[in-house]
Amino acid sequence: MNGARPSATADLVWSLFWIAVGAAMFAGGFTMDRLQGQHINPYTAPGLVPALLGIGIFVLGAILLARSVRHRASTHVGGAAQASAGRLALAAALCIAYAAGLVGRGPPFWLATAAFVFVAILAFRWPELKARGELAKGTAVAAACAIGTAAAVTLVFQELFLVRLP
Amino acid sequence: MFNGLVLFGHSLADFADPATLGIIAVSSLVGIVIGALPGLTATMGVALMTTLTLKMQPNVALLVLVCTYVGAIYGGSRSAILLNIPGTPANAAACLDGFALAQQGKAGRAIGISTTGSVMGTLIGMLFLAVATPVLGEVALKFGAFEFFWLALFGVIISGNLTGDDPLKGWLVGFLGLFVAGVGQDPIHAYERFSFGNRDLAGGFQLIPALVGAFGFAEVLTVLADRQARAKIREFGSHLPRPGDVLKYWRTILRSGIIGTFIGIVPGVGEDVASWSSYAAARRASKERDQFGKGSVEGLMAAETGDNACVPGAIIPVLALAVPGSAPAAVLMAAMIIHGVQPGPLIMVNSPQFVYDVVAMMLYATLGIFVFGILLVRPLLKVLQISREIIMPIVFVLCVIGSYAIAQRLFDVWTMLGFGVVGYILRRYNYPMAPFVLGIVLGDLLDKNLRRGLVLSDGDLTPFFTRPISAVLAAVCVATILMNFAVVRRAASWAWTAAMPWRRAA
Repeated sequence: MNGARPSATADLVWSLFWIAVGAAMFAGGFTMDRLQGQHINPYTAPGLVPALLGIGIFVLGAILLARSVRHRASTHVGGAAQASAGRLALAAALCIAYAAGLVGRGPPFWLATAAFVFVAILAFRWPELKARGELAKGTAVAAACAIGTAAAVTLVFQELFLVRLP
Repeated sequence: MFNGLVLFGHSLADFADPATLGIIAVSSLVGIVIGALPGLTATMGVALMTTLTLKMQPNVALLVLVCTYVGAIYGGSRSAILLNIPGTPANAAACLDGFALAQQGKAGRAIGISTTGSVMGTLIGMLFLAVATPVLGEVALKFGAFEFFWLALFGVIISGNLTGDDPLKGWLVGFLGLFVAGVGQDPIHAYERFSFGNRDLAGGFQLIPALVGAFGFAEVLTVLADRQARAKIREFGSHLPRPGDVLKYWRTILRSGIIGTFIGIVPGVGEDVASWSSYAAARRASKERDQFGKGSVEGLMAAETGDNACVPGAIIPVLALAVPGSAPAAVLMAAMIIHGVQPGPLIMVNSPQFVYDVVAMMLYATLGIFVFGILLVRPLLKVLQISREIIMPIVFVLCVIGSYAIAQRLFDVWTMLGFGVVGYILRRYNYPMAPFVLGIVLGDLLDKNLRRGLVLSDGDLTPFFTRPISAVLAAVCVATILMNFAVVRRAASWAWTAAMPWRRAA
């Protein structure tokens, strides 16, 4: 991982999350139908393993909690690995918009793919292209990549692998 | 032994037609390019290639994946040497001496050493693959439910302990992976667990979309979120491997190859640990240890031999036990199952030819990286200079269509997205991904065998701790966990010194 160690505060929040997840898993497993009506062996109850894993995660979360409280009292270790929030939000928004919003929701796959690749390449390269005065060239490269990707992926998956594209 | 050689000969002959050799060339090259590009890991490459090979014949599809795997681990050394950025996590150790050599104007020499080390490492690992798989398969036939339960737990615990810098976080995500594997119909009674009435969720999460998300989409987010500097490539001299290096450093090569292979066999540990362990062992044994980190030929050779030897090593437990030795091997195992090959203890009984097919695939992949390692040095430099802002959107398109193509349902695309977001967040907070993947892969094995074991013993836990193999695995699991506590480490150290008083005197 490319970053500093997460802070004890972040670990503290995570430990509470894990404790909650462990408790929920245990509750889910424990209250799960034990299929007694089907006279199955009680040791094969479907909730057994999730409940045990829930206990495991709960205990590990509690150890993380104790450790983060101890570290928080003594030192501050640093922050989580840093990323540009703007670029991350843009990447996540574009990817999710394409995969969950466009694919299978109306526009043909090739069009959705070409639009995504074109917009994503241009959006992320825009500052660099603008600084170097290469906007026209950069737009042409993005368009070529978009058309090439859409054509190649559609051709390979639809014609070669016989996948019914979304 | 002789029978094995005959089977191996058949496998070599089967792959030796022009079309298959062309496939080997292309997939090795794809692997090298994936490995060379920082941000594209071997696991992601093998997962994406799995989706591209669904319609191929099983042997050809697995050949493509093995070549991609070997190529990616080798290719990662290029960016480590030229840019000081490991192409895959396995090549981090190669940065130390590889980049130092490049700074001294010897980048070509470093590439040659990396090619020599990778080829020798893969060959050593391949020999162990051919010899150890039948032996381990024989031992594995004695495994019952108790042993398989411990083996699954052992994989997650060891992987959590060794793959990150915080074992506690490794175990947490490993357990989470085990849980995720249990979502959907349970493997014994087909009872729907945690599906909340959702028909898609009742089928559980498909492994490949989950892995493509955790490694592919999460990596796309990571790379796009961080601003990337444009790569600057230095000038370099001859990159041809030198046979003299093999003769001069044969001990280092052999030692690193053996270390790499054995670390590969340990479930879920993988190439990065193999590389660092080989590097550390070479440094301890070297007469020129002061040169390590400053451009040592021996250091680079050790790191590159170790990580590539780990590749065949990681496939040994896949074939013999159905337990992957590394994250890319986990994807490879999933691909085998998709293609109708059932790895595990019975493989030497039911399809011994397949084991030697994999050995032959490894040999052809080695040839692929050797040829491209010599021929395509300068074109690969151009690939390294392509902006990652151009590559990543295209990779994401492959993540989407690859996840969709397996069962042609949009739920798998959403699975990929969900696992990608979760994977990204976990990575940002130093949670390693390898134990998570191993948990997903081994969840079914652990679940079924714990419950079967309890039925066999009528609820008695004693056989889990008294059967010989179970006892060893249980002891290793417990010791691994306990050794992370300072008080236990101090007590163990005190007991060790007390038991061997001459060490105290020394």
